[in-house]
Amino acid sequence: MGAELGIYKSCVSARSTDKEILKASQDGGIVTQLFGFALDEGIIEGAIVAVSKDFYKKYPEKCMACYADDTKEPFRPIPAIITTKAELMESRGTKYNISPNVSLIKEATRSFGLDKVGIVGTPCQMQAIRKGQLYPIGLRDVGDKIALAVGIFCMENFPYQSILQLVEDHAAMSMDSVRKMEIGKGKFWVYGKRGQVVQLPLKVTHKYEQPGCHVCLDYVANLGDISTGSVGSPDGWSTVFVRSKIGDSVWGKAMAAGCFETQPIEKVKPGLELVSKLANEKISKNKKTLEERATFGVGKALRNPYI
Amino acid sequence: MSKVVEISPTTRHEGHSKLVLKVNDEGIIETGNWCSITPVRGVEKLAIGKTMEQVPKIASRVCGICPIAHTLAGIESMEASVKCEIPKDAKLLRVVLQCANRLHSHALHNILTLPDMYLPGTDTKINPFTQEEPVRSVAKRIQRLREIGQTIGEIAGGEAVHPSNPRVGGMFRPCSQQAKVKMLDLAKEGLVLAHAQMDFMIAVLRNFQKRDWAEVGGAKIAIPKNLGYHDQGYLATHPIYGSTSMDENPTWDYSRFKESRPWDWYMGEMEVSLEDPKYPVGGTTKMGTKVNPQMEACTGIPCYDGAPVEVGPRARLVKFSNFNEKGTIGQQIARQLEYPASLTSIISALDEYNPAGKVIADYIPQGDGSMGWAANEAPRGTDVHLARVKDGRVLWYNMLVPTTWNFATCSKALEGAPWQLAEIVVRGYDPCVSCATHMIVIDEDKRLVAQKLIQ
Repeated sequence: MGAELGIYKSCVSARSTDKEILKASQDGGIVTQLFGFALDEGIIEGAIVAVSKDFYKKYPEKCMACYADDTKEPFRPIPAIITTKAELMESRGTKYNISPNVSLIKEATRSFGLDKVGIVGTPCQMQAIRKGQLYPIGLRDVGDKIALAVGIFCMENFPYQSILQLVEDHAAMSMDSVRKMEIGKGKFWVYGKRGQVVQLPLKVTHKYEQPGCHVCLDYVANLGDISTGSVGSPDGWSTVFVRSKIGDSVWGKAMAAGCFETQPIEKVKPGLELVSKLANEKISKNKKTLEERATFGVGKALRNPYI
Repeated sequence: MSKVVEISPTTRHEGHSKLVLKVNDEGIIETGNWCSITPVRGVEKLAIGKTMEQVPKIASRVCGICPIAHTLAGIESMEASVKCEIPKDAKLLRVVLQCANRLHSHALHNILTLPDMYLPGTDTKINPFTQEEPVRSVAKRIQRLREIGQTIGEIAGGEAVHPSNPRVGGMFRPCSQQAKVKMLDLAKEGLVLAHAQMDFMIAVLRNFQKRDWAEVGGAKIAIPKNLGYHDQGYLATHPIYGSTSMDENPTWDYSRFKESRPWDWYMGEMEVSLEDPKYPVGGTTKMGTKVNPQMEACTGIPCYDGAPVEVGPRARLVKFSNFNEKGTIGQQIARQLEYPASLTSIISALDEYNPAGKVIADYIPQGDGSMGWAANEAPRGTDVHLARVKDGRVLWYNMLVPTTWNFATCSKALEGAPWQLAEIVVRGYDPCVSCATHMIVIDEDKRLVAQKLIQ
């Protein structure tokens, strides 16, 4: 295939040098460290991230919660705008279900009064951001205020109900006792606060995926300024693609400031090979869905979004 | 022997309207009919059965210049009908929004009216789009003022054009401390520009007042000293914001209002008997064309105490600041005088605004069908929305927009002016015709007369 990793200027395996960040980060703490650095340097004035209910309790005015229940459930991501390091630290870690971060982009530039916004999101959210910059429908005066868009690798996403089912029924754990969730080494891992670890084969999780994800042909967030994910790097490290001019400049400054330790991606195991393999898997699997969809519906209405 | 001349369409204002004028041998207007020929909007009918949240949003779509006024008047009429009090901080954000709208609208009107005026001390008409000084820097200042108004409106209201943040019961989201500071900065920058702009405009307008003639279509037309004078009353509800039926002392009275239909007011069928091919732009209507303002006009004629009244900047200043200048130029000067006030009001509202405060009412009643009205002082005048809400649904809705009030008054003000200057009088009202349109003329068989307009 060849194009599965998108266009990028450089690729490394990296992790944050800040021990405090690594304590509760998903992998290498890349997003938290990048936003923390950008906040300190004034590259961004605030960032849109996914937070959990504890954050909501402390700073409800910074969150976008549609329903009251959303603010009570553990591991329910709530989009929020963070403007300080302390708030940023509260938002570490992946939540493994859908967080409508893009819904806050207008609010960030408007009622929060930010002129330079950072945003983190999945590949589809990066697509939405870029499309919004090109065709600012409902996003008037937003495009030029997006200062840093960090994409995260994504095979597919889950609705909250799916995560609930997987954790409470399949893994037989209470949501409240979960410390961390992870997908890696072909399994869905659930780590409990009391030390218990449950692993589910991905075969089990497939049927809980969001069907909308099955038309996506982007695994490594091709449209982020910087995109990152655990795949391809050793445990506790993340693979980082630096893609745009903005991304290059922010990454260069962060490296110069000693925010990250890096290893060349060619030297680490499993390396880019695995990223390519998974990206190709996602693309070829989802192309099939696209072809199927082209043949159903009245007047074959579901068009291929990539043509 | 009087002649009939028609200027259709009129230019440099929002919407589509035309002037049908009966003039004497000297070309002085005896009877002036200014009528809206914009297609009917039908918002009042669309509103029926919709939720009270939806209707103000739909209503704001009648226009893109003062949608903020329509949103606020619409929402407040719902609140007045269901009797919902909103928190103080929500009210302050609405005041900010209101003034931001006024600022950008007045600045826009400067662009529309300047081509009628002369550079003081010369016989050169002003072209706001020229590269030459001093006009170039004035045009830039106008653009910056508009930008400031729209940006403040966007921050406080959600969108620069159709605000999304106001809702029945208050506002959806508060503005953060940072957003508040940003708005304050913009307002303070705007205040300096607004003072300069006001001084420039008043100098230009006073210069026009002193002139004996103005050039229209290559001819020198004598300017009468009483250009645009009328003897109608004034209506304004508040110097800045407005009034609702929930107020302790409402400043508008529903029982004093009555609306008559255009065919009771306008002239009947006539034939154009005077034309001027040189009149800008493209000449007046050809001789022999049949005109019928009675049937073509699609506005109602609202009367207050049985007579048409003037609304707008001058009405506000007459009612609340003892302003006493008459005529078109007096009206324009009143508009310029509102510049600084709209910015100082933003600044004082923001000083009072608490970003941590509540912006939505704890309890929003769903309504029992009683009538509530809200009058909002839009840039062009009093914009009254009336509503009946029951169980959260709108039973009845009516919009009395500023230019509707002004149509009949301006028609009176045309009398005694040379017909070539009629458009200047019309522009003095800063007409916004599209929202003023809300009547379809049907004949005895219930057939639509103005069918062509709707297609």
